[in-house]
Amino acid sequence: MSEFHVDMGPQYEGEAIRRENVQVEFGGPKIPHKFELVTLKGLDEVEHEKIEVIGPDIKDIEEGASSPLAILIDVAGEELEKDMEPVFERRIHMYSNYIEGFWHVAQRDDIWIRLDKAAFKKGLNSLREIGEILIFLFTSELDIIEKISVTFITDGEKVKELLPNALTVYEARDARARDLGDEDVDEFYGCILCQAFAPTHICFITPDRMANCGAISWFDGRAAYKLDPEGPVFAVPKGELLDAARGEYAGVNAVAQEKSLGSVEEVYLYSSFGRPHTSCGCFQSICFYIPEVDAFGIVYRDFIGESVIGLPFSKMAGETSGGRQVEGSCGMGLEYLRSPKFFQADGGLRRVVWMPKDIKERYKDAIPEDLLDKIATEEDVKNTDELTEFLERVGHPWVKGEVEIPD
Amino acid sequence: MSITIAVAGKGGTGKTAISALLAALLAKESPPVLAVDGDPATNLHQALGLPLDDETNTIGGIRELMEEKITRAEFAPGTDKQAWLDARIFEGLVESVGLDFLAMGRSESQGCYCAVNHMLRYVLDKLAGNYQYVVIDNEAGMEHISRQTTRDVDVLLIISDPTARGITAAVRTRKLIDDLRTNVGQIHLVVNRLAGDISPQMGDLIAGAGLDLLVTIPEDPNMAPLETEGGPLTELPPDSPLRRVVVDIAAKTGLLAGKPRTSLF
Repeated sequence: MSEFHVDMGPQYEGEAIRRENVQVEFGGPKIPHKFELVTLKGLDEVEHEKIEVIGPDIKDIEEGASSPLAILIDVAGEELEKDMEPVFERRIHMYSNYIEGFWHVAQRDDIWIRLDKAAFKKGLNSLREIGEILIFLFTSELDIIEKISVTFITDGEKVKELLPNALTVYEARDARARDLGDEDVDEFYGCILCQAFAPTHICFITPDRMANCGAISWFDGRAAYKLDPEGPVFAVPKGELLDAARGEYAGVNAVAQEKSLGSVEEVYLYSSFGRPHTSCGCFQSICFYIPEVDAFGIVYRDFIGESVIGLPFSKMAGETSGGRQVEGSCGMGLEYLRSPKFFQADGGLRRVVWMPKDIKERYKDAIPEDLLDKIATEEDVKNTDELTEFLERVGHPWVKGEVEIPD
Repeated sequence: MSITIAVAGKGGTGKTAISALLAALLAKESPPVLAVDGDPATNLHQALGLPLDDETNTIGGIRELMEEKITRAEFAPGTDKQAWLDARIFEGLVESVGLDFLAMGRSESQGCYCAVNHMLRYVLDKLAGNYQYVVIDNEAGMEHISRQTTRDVDVLLIISDPTARGITAAVRTRKLIDDLRTNVGQIHLVVNRLAGDISPQMGDLIAGAGLDLLVTIPEDPNMAPLETEGGPLTELPPDSPLRRVVVDIAAKTGLLAGKPRTSLF
């Protein structure tokens, strides 16, 4: 009864199309310009179910050839929000892979699509039909989309011309994503991938706090959870905010108790003292307490030699790792430095007095300008005596008592 | 569901030649096949006559690139890392007729990335599912079986040269399997380059370790010229001893029937 030439459904998702079976390839490593973009428009701006193919269609392309491609999908609906654009855009990947003999890899300006010869022989010889299938899947799975139109552009010049605009849109989305805070979401994610090494460790992944390894952001967590809900990355409902300064959430505590088999009862997401986040063995960096100056240093995995407290990273990592709550020694993803919540209960970045030069350089846009010269590096000081003297000399705000600790 | 065949052994035992010939045979009989080079010291692609344009385009190289990008915070928040990795792995695939090739490469990095390895396993598992057979040329330590694939191995062939030392190494590889979390269906020993019969001493070692001696292979006179020139082993004449034994291996393990013989243990 299907009006389409090929079958569709989630059973085709893992299907790869090998080179020798390729009828036509769009994008991929051989094609410099390609992208996909979903744009939210007004209800009067979208002509529902309109499909346009600009440039050669599948049947016009030589067998086995690679072609440029831009997929532009416009959507409209009373209840749609701008933030849904990237979510819908990922659905292009998902729904394309639902199509028998059609394969879609990656995202944004990195897309790579293949059509199988067998599907072509069955009659799938136009992007127009791909558009019809996508519209069918989008509208039947997502009720809130009231109007949708699809444009395919295979004209290389035209794709090249439109690509910069898409890149600008991606950048704007990324900027919005970076501004997302823990208070803006209802759900955090937890990861127990490292429990093979640290059986009581659970990484809590929030918009303000990436996983310790730096590999899983809150967005990655959300994607991983959707991809494999039974997998090692799972949803953590935030629950009640018990302590705003320290970042203590009832939902986080509950999951910590359950998944650590009771060995971790409470977790402060934004404090190194009391009930700090545990550390696996994979952390990118360590935020460590320096008793001599009652402040913090940051050291990371690639740092060669001894940190300001006279220990190399490997030694400090040994004392931090294993899934324990070690006060004043916390493994963390470096991106946490960018978060306004970065150990806020302890004084945040204004209580950081030492970090490797590389890290300072890399994160200089995240460090307040007046603080930048006041954080020592391995080039400024070799030990805590020199550090104490340095901080006095430059007038570090923590030493001068200018940093307020929230209650 | 694809059938996974792992070939393991020390360098010089001929395991790469056997991997290549087995992969080529299966690709001819029941394509497609994924050939995986799991030993950075050998050149399975050469044995298969396939080009490898970019020597860094290996799983190890891709993992390092990913770790580097993570360390440098170069992934945009809106970039799905799993999807990014997907594309890189497919780029690393050398695609041929009836057979694709993937090199595991080496990973030099200091970092410890459970998350990256997990994503990698996910992609590799999904990829492998697209083939009838996956043939993996492993180093004796079988690092890739233990660390990077959760897939079960249907047939493990341990290749040894005809020396007591070689057999001892094969026994060690057999013991390694018990320590791994991977399930292995059949395990067989293949003794290559054997002149005459298995010596009583070697026989005792094999029996003592509970190893099943599947076949022995005489020195193949056609191998030396090919190895000198670095030519593909697919050029070996059909009646070449090595080629004939590989057909024998496929038959004895039930691979050609499409389903391996059930476990011998």
